[in-house]
Amino acid sequence: MSNKPIPHAKSAAEWIEKEDHYTFHDERLWDMRQKRDEQMHLLPEWQDLREQASRLKEHTLAHLPHYLEQFEENARRNGIHVHWARDGAEHNRIVESLLKKHNKTSIIKSKSMITDECEMREYLEPRGYSVTETDLGERIQQLDGQMPSHVVVPAVQKLTGDVAQLFAKYYDTDPASDDPHELAEAQRIAARPALLTGDTGMTGGNFLVAETGTFVVCTNEGNADLSANLPDLHIATLGIERLIPRMADLGVFIRLLSRSALGSPITQYTTHFRKPKKGGEMHVILVDNGRSDRLAMDDFWSSLKCIRCGACMNTCPVYRRSGGQSYGAVYSGPIGAIIDPTFNAKKFSTLPFASTMNGSCTNVCPVKINIHDQLYKWRQVLAERHEIPFVKRALMKMAGRLLAQPALYRLSISGAEVALKTVPRFALYNYFNQWGKHRELPHPVKETFHSWYKKNRLNKEKGAEKEETEA
Amino acid sequence: MKIGLFIPCYIDAFYPKTGIATLELLEKLGQNAEYPMDQTCCGQPMANSGCSPDAKMTEELFVRNFAKYDVIVAPSGSCVHHVRDHFDAMEQTADVRHVRQNTYELVEFLHDVLKVRDFPWAEFPHRVGLHNSCATLRSLRTASMSELGEPFFSKPKTLLSAVKGISFATPKRPDECCGFGGTYSVTEEAVSAKMGLDKVTDHHEAGAEYIVSADTSCMMHQQGCAERNGVPIRFIHIAEILNGAKA
Amino acid sequence: MSDGMNMTARDAIFAKLREHKSPQEDAYPLPPVAVFGDCDASPERFAKNLAQMGGKLLPRKPGESIAHVIDAAFPARQNLCTAVPEVEGTLRIEDLEDHYQANKVDVMVVRAAFGIAEVGGIFLSEVELKEHLADVHLAQHLVVLLSQAELTGNMHTAYRDRSEFKTAGYGVVMSGPSATADIQGVLIRGAQGVRSLSVIWD
Repeated sequence: MSNKPIPHAKSAAEWIEKEDHYTFHDERLWDMRQKRDEQMHLLPEWQDLREQASRLKEHTLAHLPHYLEQFEENARRNGIHVHWARDGAEHNRIVESLLKKHNKTSIIKSKSMITDECEMREYLEPRGYSVTETDLGERIQQLDGQMPSHVVVPAVQKLTGDVAQLFAKYYDTDPASDDPHELAEAQRIAARPALLTGDTGMTGGNFLVAETGTFVVCTNEGNADLSANLPDLHIATLGIERLIPRMADLGVFIRLLSRSALGSPITQYTTHFRKPKKGGEMHVILVDNGRSDRLAMDDFWSSLKCIRCGACMNTCPVYRRSGGQSYGAVYSGPIGAIIDPTFNAKKFSTLPFASTMNGSCTNVCPVKINIHDQLYKWRQVLAERHEIPFVKRALMKMAGRLLAQPALYRLSISGAEVALKTVPRFALYNYFNQWGKHRELPHPVKETFHSWYKKNRLNKEKGAEKEETEA
Repeated sequence: MKIGLFIPCYIDAFYPKTGIATLELLEKLGQNAEYPMDQTCCGQPMANSGCSPDAKMTEELFVRNFAKYDVIVAPSGSCVHHVRDHFDAMEQTADVRHVRQNTYELVEFLHDVLKVRDFPWAEFPHRVGLHNSCATLRSLRTASMSELGEPFFSKPKTLLSAVKGISFATPKRPDECCGFGGTYSVTEEAVSAKMGLDKVTDHHEAGAEYIVSADTSCMMHQQGCAERNGVPIRFIHIAEILNGAKA
Repeated sequence: MSDGMNMTARDAIFAKLREHKSPQEDAYPLPPVAVFGDCDASPERFAKNLAQMGGKLLPRKPGESIAHVIDAAFPARQNLCTAVPEVEGTLRIEDLEDHYQANKVDVMVVRAAFGIAEVGGIFLSEVELKEHLADVHLAQHLVVLLSQAELTGNMHTAYRDRSEFKTAGYGVVMSGPSATADIQGVLIRGAQGVRSLSVIWD
């Protein structure tokens, strides 16, 4: 994996130039945000739900070893095989060993962010296994060789025409099709044989219920129910942070999840797996992959509360205007910007700066993660670790010194000459050049407030005092 | 009550009218306000860039300048948010705590502390679009936030409603960030400028002649975007309207 | 067993969690189970939300047989597969030989264990599906028999009161048919699973 910082600003600038895509993307996600608001207004208990969800997640994370043990014990009792993976590589090896053991070669898979996080397809495909994504959006991204653009709507950055071009290549459909119904039908028709012949089903999961050893998968297409139940082998991958304590707590999360994500009251399918099907085998792989490290970080552990609804992405004005691909990460948008640096601080060092700190993400988060505060904290951490550009560091150091010395500061803004002596030319040039690319500079004025005040208040007062003394 | 007036660096340098209006307004309301001459900046540009240690000396200077006042008032929500919520780099002395607890953004000071509801001298016969900066909205809480579904309130609108002849235009996305974001405006200039253009276009299409805000920094950015793209809309700080500016 | 082989990973994860966890246990007590909001379990509320989720309520005249209601709703259907004694159909779910046969089913009839008024959802498990878990999702259309006496108000009451969540090996709450909006935001009913979901009160 390359360590080069993701050029978010550059990719976003390119994205903006694609006007049709830009406009659709912004409006589509804004519409999802509006629909979320409508659902919120329908439920007077909305803030209570958020508070309860947050407290349940915080409690579970504070007692994670206990609940993991409880889940494991109950799942095993129900006949589920439970595996543990420290990282993505270990996860992929476990999957491969299960496939080998059962002599399986073809996986039909429902959408799962964590298998993307583990780069499972990249591991299995060269080793001769086929992996077929069955969620429409995820399949589109797979065919195009791209990471999901959004945690809930993976291909939201594409227009119908893009999908038509792609499907024409793989499904022999009309490349000029502009009918999403026709294209979705093509995917349904193409998916059926794969579903019927696939020998292994894989799913992710939204929740693990410790009390019963259940894992819960929420989908709209029904592809997880098909993928999991058709073959005799079902492997589910979940992060260790997906836990909740009791079955009776699930209602809080199910009520929030799809309302926050899409503005629909619930996903079409809410599926609870507690036991292997008759004659089948079920495996759950619990993946750490940096989560235990994150749980040890005082400022960032609460990001583990995330239930992957994508509401923060939908509301984020920067995400809506830069597109998910510009984040160069499995997790994009505001939540991505606070969890990606825990995987690789250098590579994802630009993401916490891809924010205006407007705070809207924090307000829509159904589990009350203080996302924008964590963005601010990450900036401090990254600067301290020298993971921000040299020019910015130099400029801030100079600015910090200058602004702490009133006399020097006054001199510096009274004439460009002095400014250039105190702040290096390259830094200033860089600043104004960037500002002026798509914007006018503020208009020059005759005098600063400082000098006006001196003339019109201080000198007048002094003048008045003088008059009094003379009188 | 002795008021220390904080005029942020960009207002001082580019928008002195806003500073003058703030001072004159406080004086009209019978307040004793003073502008300490050694002030520079609140430290936010450095801190928002992640460089809190570089902001420390500037923040210490701010405290030295303002600790002697009962309250500190600034016509800038974003700076007040920084002082109140992010003055963490230095030791939290009694002075620091005093400054953090007693620094007010102009609107909240007028609305909550002085409880002014009448501005008999103010008349602004124009249709305005109100821009609440993200700092005033989500940190200082001077208006309700659409994401929380709370009952509507808006302190700036309450104050502006007392101005003769004023009317309001309602943009489609009233809470949407305008994309300034401090150093964000430079770090990601393309997205920032696009957001700014979207914002001013939204106000313009809603019929606003002016965008009015308690944050000059947002307006400096929006004005730059409007002028570059030929969007015919003007900008004015809320202090100027409340102080009696006619245009 | 691979479970055993992985003990080292398990131990390593637990050791890290126990030693380094930032949130302290005492600071985060378990909140009591919460039941919020509207708990109305009326058939009207169910029907309204079923429609919102894209499901249909098939009208049934007094004394009209279920088979007749289905025939009226799906006049062109050929294979009618049934998991309920009330409907004869063309074949019984227990008699499905393989998934390929299920893939040719036009209409599948099942009885739901219960319904959830808040989301117009119905609950199916291996009990109602006679262990044919995937076959119900392969059918083109799904007809669900549901008793008005088996309605619960919302998701809180469902998880609190319905024991099926703790006893079923496979349990799915279906709210309307399969759907997607993955291509340019256009809502399409009938993505990978059933194209329609209809409920008959019985």
